[in-house]
Amino acid sequence: MKKSMGWKVGLILAVVVFSVWMFYPPKDKINLGLDLKGGMHLILEVQTDEAIRIQTDQSIEQLKSSLKEDGIKFEKVKRVGVNKIEIIGTSFDDERTVKDILEDDFRDWRITYSSNRIIMALRPNIEMKMRDQSVDQALQTIRNRVDEFGVAEPVIQKEGLSGDRLLVQLPGVDDPARVKSLIKSTAMLEWKHVVAGSFPSKEDALKKYGGNLPDDLVILKEKGSKSCYVLRAASVVTGKDLKTARSSVDEYGAPAIGFSLNSRGARKFEKYTSKNIGQRCAIILDNRVLLAPSISAVISSDGIITGRYTSDEVNDMVLMLRSGALPAPMKYLEERTIGPSLGADSIRKGLYACITGLILVLIFMLVFYKGAGINSNVALILNIIILMGILSYFKATLTLPGIAGVILTIGMAVDANVLIFERIKEDIRFGKSPKSAIESGFKKAFLTIFDANLTTIIAAIFLYQFGTGPIKGFSVTLIIGIVASMFTAVFVSRVIFDLIYGKRKKLKKISI
Amino acid sequence: MRIFKKEPDFNFMGKRFLAFTLSGLIIVAGAIALTTKGFNLGIDFSGGTLIEVSFKNYTNENNLRKVLKKIGFGKSEIQRVGRKENKFFIKTIKSIEEENKSQHKFEGVIENQDLGEHEKVAEMIKSAFISEKERASLKGGKIDINNASENKIRNFLITKGASEEDAMESSLKINDLKKNETGLINSFKDLEKLKLRRRVMTILKDNTFLGNFTFLSTEIVGPKVGSDLRSKAILATFWALLGMLIYIAFRFKFVYAFAAVITLFHDILVILSFILFFNVEMSLTVVAAILTLVGYSLNDTIVIFDRVRDNVKLMRREKVESIINRSINQTLTRTIVTSGTTLLTVLALFFFGGEVIHTFSLILIVGILIGTYSSIFQSCAWLKVWEKHFIRRKKI
Repeated sequence: MKKSMGWKVGLILAVVVFSVWMFYPPKDKINLGLDLKGGMHLILEVQTDEAIRIQTDQSIEQLKSSLKEDGIKFEKVKRVGVNKIEIIGTSFDDERTVKDILEDDFRDWRITYSSNRIIMALRPNIEMKMRDQSVDQALQTIRNRVDEFGVAEPVIQKEGLSGDRLLVQLPGVDDPARVKSLIKSTAMLEWKHVVAGSFPSKEDALKKYGGNLPDDLVILKEKGSKSCYVLRAASVVTGKDLKTARSSVDEYGAPAIGFSLNSRGARKFEKYTSKNIGQRCAIILDNRVLLAPSISAVISSDGIITGRYTSDEVNDMVLMLRSGALPAPMKYLEERTIGPSLGADSIRKGLYACITGLILVLIFMLVFYKGAGINSNVALILNIIILMGILSYFKATLTLPGIAGVILTIGMAVDANVLIFERIKEDIRFGKSPKSAIESGFKKAFLTIFDANLTTIIAAIFLYQFGTGPIKGFSVTLIIGIVASMFTAVFVSRVIFDLIYGKRKKLKKISI
Repeated sequence: MRIFKKEPDFNFMGKRFLAFTLSGLIIVAGAIALTTKGFNLGIDFSGGTLIEVSFKNYTNENNLRKVLKKIGFGKSEIQRVGRKENKFFIKTIKSIEEENKSQHKFEGVIENQDLGEHEKVAEMIKSAFISEKERASLKGGKIDINNASENKIRNFLITKGASEEDAMESSLKINDLKKNETGLINSFKDLEKLKLRRRVMTILKDNTFLGNFTFLSTEIVGPKVGSDLRSKAILATFWALLGMLIYIAFRFKFVYAFAAVITLFHDILVILSFILFFNVEMSLTVVAAILTLVGYSLNDTIVIFDRVRDNVKLMRREKVESIINRSINQTLTRTIVTSGTTLLTVLALFFFGGEVIHTFSLILIVGILIGTYSSIFQSCAWLKVWEKHFIRRKKI
């Protein structure tokens, strides 16, 4: 008897000490959710359709040049939908070679031939892979950006069943507009040759070409204004040729973006600038012209981009350029910003409600069950300690609904004790001795407690599985609370009874 | 202490038809409410913008509506939070149908499908609340401490000539000062209490002002997420019910699982009816509350079923009604005590937990009462129903 009591008490002490050690001091150890510490919660959808479209457009360019190289005549190559290419008007004589080219270089496409047109459709498995890749790449890019921005403990992960959604949680960020544009910018950097401009509006630019722009030219707006440039569609170099970007200053000491191209880019740029001195070359970010300086000297690898930027703007742009371009544009589906004061207020109130609820329950149990009430109160307090300990151990996040879960656990945790005590009372009423009543009370109540709690856990697990943010936090605390209550109400309470009454040989009455 | 001097002997089963009628009436009334007015969907499910805004000076719903009317949001829902503080929830909703239409119109133009419009709404409302005087100050290059982030205040102090260290320390302190009930700093007197460097204080006094309001939180949910969450919530409920059903059928007999699941449906329908009656806004947390109650009520039911199972073995000769009555009576003290302690904590949550989980705790209170009622008056009655119609020789 004594020996077995020893390890039981030891185990309880060990669990308690471990729990306290895990969550003390709570300020550092307990992971607070966004709703408690403030921050941003974003759900983005990667426009994978757009990624496929970009891919298809690139293939069209490649196709055109392949056909031209082999001297095959065609009327038109155009994109149908996002994932189909139609080649119209290849002459029939050439069919043999067309087939050769297509089947060698375009294995990702399923090709069907008809009298004067060829239709190429992206194979479904390849398309799926491309979509997945674009989401993965977007995730990585956002992670890079957030890391460089310096947010502590961000959450960036895929979300939902459709596979194209990303969840981004940034605790403590209180400048939502800046962060949002930072995350969402595609950050496609391009250098394009300026053909004409600038014009006060798009219409004016079009007028110059009689309202009909040649295929190889594009009109792009200048960032932050309505004026437009006419540019050559093909880029001189793009962000892919970028080695690095950094914050820098121009000759007047104003913030500017410094960049270096990799060797491939440098070669292309050197060749281009040496041929075009005196002409202008536009630097374009996400289809907006940042600036269009004239080329004064041959530039190979290094340069700076100037403008009237603040140092924050420069830092953000550098960050985006360094983290790479997004493979496809993104769309915000959900955005929640919680200010730090609201979070602090919620913690204060939640804590207050917790303590009030706890005290009420403690008093109630003490009045109702007297001596045994003290027992269950000890068990309840241990329950909360263990709950906090496990929460910290699993690095689970405490949210406001999570606090509600803790409060509810306080109310429900005593249920196991109530079940046991009522059984004991009942057995005493039937004339059993207190000692055997305790024995049988615990035994009979255990199965009930087990069944009842397990069903609640099943419900909570499904809540966790399907729930998002706040619901998850709630179900986690509920599950942990229930498991802890099984330990404290059944095991700890029993040990306490044994410690108090176990040594007495004759036990006539117990306080319950 | 005891609630009953000796074991109580209420005839619960005798009242079962009364209970069926009562619950039936509530559910029918709920169904009528559903067809006539439907659920009040929160932005979690309908999509839209929800802003919590806090004002320094007294204002009321009517004043806010006047301001919102000017920018075309006069129909927004405005709800005061708490009594003392000037905090309000403002909800601008765009119905899902409307959204679908506009999406259809803009098909292929990605920018227009974006949250962009909603974001603009938040910005428009923000700028509408800025007073003429404040607008002039902003134009004059001053910044609004109550609406500036910590980062912004720090950078501002540095550009005005404060040392980096001072700026860092001061902006942190100012940010902490804002972490009060209202999220606002009331006057420069409060700022002076922070004992900032004199130099910083002069910069603040000359170049900043304390705006009249701040946005405590801004939530923007796109329509796609809303419909997604709806199906998720339904899925979660379905699987949770199935899981519990299987467990009970496994641990007890099928008849218990049947009665338990009917009771669960009863609970869900009655709670939903009350949600409809009180026009409670459906949000994710409300769904969480409902599912919690389902778990709670089931917990209660199982305790009684457990007793029934025991008593069936002990009282072989007795009629099913009296076995069930006995079981409910034997567990009655426990049912009352547990409901009582849980109610105590939930009441604490309701009164002290703050606005954000007010509805959550309200539903828990109502739900605990419903769950307790249903485990006493419904669950066992359904055992009897099954027994009467499907079981010939053996009892339950």
